[in-house]
Amino acid sequence: MSTERIVGVGAGTKDLATEDMTLNIGPQHPSTHGVLRLRITLDGERITAAEPIIGYMHRGAEKLFEVRDYRQIIVLANRHDWLSAFASELGVVLAVERMLGMEVPVRAVWARTLLAELNRVLNHLMFLGSYPLEVGAITPIFYSFREREQVQRVMEEISGGRLHYMFNRVGGLKEELPAGWLGRVTDAVAAVRHGVGDIDRLIRGNEIFRARTRGVGVLTREQIEQYGVSGPIARASGVDFDLRRDEPYLAYGELQDVLRVVTRTEGDCLARFECLLDQVHASLDLADACVARLKELPPGPINVRLPKVLKVPEGHTYAWTENPLGINGYYLVSHGEKTPWRLKLRSASFNNIQVLREMLPGHLVADMIAILGSMFFVVGDIDK
Amino acid sequence: MTRRSITRQYPEVQPDLPPRSRGVIALFEENCTVCMLCARECPDWCIYIDSHKETLPAPTGGRARTRNVLDRFAIDFALCMYCGICIEACPFDALFWSPEFEYAEYDIAELTHERERLREWMWTVPPPPAHDPGAEPPKELKAR
Repeated sequence: MSTERIVGVGAGTKDLATEDMTLNIGPQHPSTHGVLRLRITLDGERITAAEPIIGYMHRGAEKLFEVRDYRQIIVLANRHDWLSAFASELGVVLAVERMLGMEVPVRAVWARTLLAELNRVLNHLMFLGSYPLEVGAITPIFYSFREREQVQRVMEEISGGRLHYMFNRVGGLKEELPAGWLGRVTDAVAAVRHGVGDIDRLIRGNEIFRARTRGVGVLTREQIEQYGVSGPIARASGVDFDLRRDEPYLAYGELQDVLRVVTRTEGDCLARFECLLDQVHASLDLADACVARLKELPPGPINVRLPKVLKVPEGHTYAWTENPLGINGYYLVSHGEKTPWRLKLRSASFNNIQVLREMLPGHLVADMIAILGSMFFVVGDIDK
Repeated sequence: MTRRSITRQYPEVQPDLPPRSRGVIALFEENCTVCMLCARECPDWCIYIDSHKETLPAPTGGRARTRNVLDRFAIDFALCMYCGICIEACPFDALFWSPEFEYAEYDIAELTHERERLREWMWTVPPPPAHDPGAEPPKELKAR
């Protein structure tokens, strides 16, 4: 007599009983520079859903702006994105100057443009070093930091700060350029141009780097438009939009023949990295053009004498700038007080990071690191 | 690629910091009139000032005059955001930046520098750098 009896079910006999796993990446995780937390749902090694959970570093910058006068706001404005401090200060002072109808001295305009481009180079060099590090190449960060130091030194010489420059004032810059500084900028720009070439040759053609980034994390034009992604990330997907060209502020209007907007069409991690790399070259060219112009300009002031109590007339304005990481906007509403009634801050990283929930599903966990690194964000800029 | 690294051998070799470097705030207390502008303009209120009024004896044929005497001037560098607004706000040139930075402490309370310590930093304040040829002459020179 033989009866068939099942005594135990081995894995795979019937349909495989698997369970989705929820995994928290961060808020403390070595690959998420800062305290970004991602809650991802995994089916095996494949991501099925991803949700960025933000706010661990929220400092209430917008509310603090409302109880600070305009000089004190600059202190806070250069801190939300600590890699683009100068560029973020600019948005505030441009908004205030526009409301006041203030004419900024021409030397200040060119010096601001120069400093904004040097700030962009500093920002990009950081990511050009840290991104290869995240996908496993250790050396490039040492080279990128060596180049950063050259620019860092000229920035420190003029402003006294290495991170929070605090060098913009309503109506111009805080202080004059030191004697011989323009020459040192030229030297630094030449050295960085040479050094970035090294990083370029080291990484761009690297087989492993290409294998990990090419075709990974493709961002489409639709997603960019839906989520308001901006900056080099958007330009890597063929969204050819750059405020420096499309709505020129500072001296960019006169630099149109030097200004080169770097774009790619692939929209993958490699394209984003290449955009950043080529943008450094473009910024260095702009910096050289600014130095040349500053040397030609007739002597003049670098700022405007301000009243003891600076009050902005009633009204509102929106000033936006092409920050290194994307569009940075300040919506200033004034009721004629010495503090703004409301100063809304639109920061690039906040929008750029939201699109991760669309980008990550379908990718492997290992690719998540490559994608996250290529989104070039600063957590302070997300959480504000 | 084969350029020498620019690593500084820090504790052995001191960094050559530019004169504008924002390291520590020095107080030239002889110039301070206790006007409190720095303490009021500070974005995070890290300057503590105490003072009392002193009446000077009346000179012959005149009125007695009062003046402010500084009792305490302290900056809490644990709170300070190194923005330099106090230095800009001071109308009497009593505050200056110094590039000195070696004042880390094990106890956070030690980061509050009292007036004696702030006065000592004055000896480390460098002269300001010369300006670019394209600059307007400084107003101190124009006033002469």
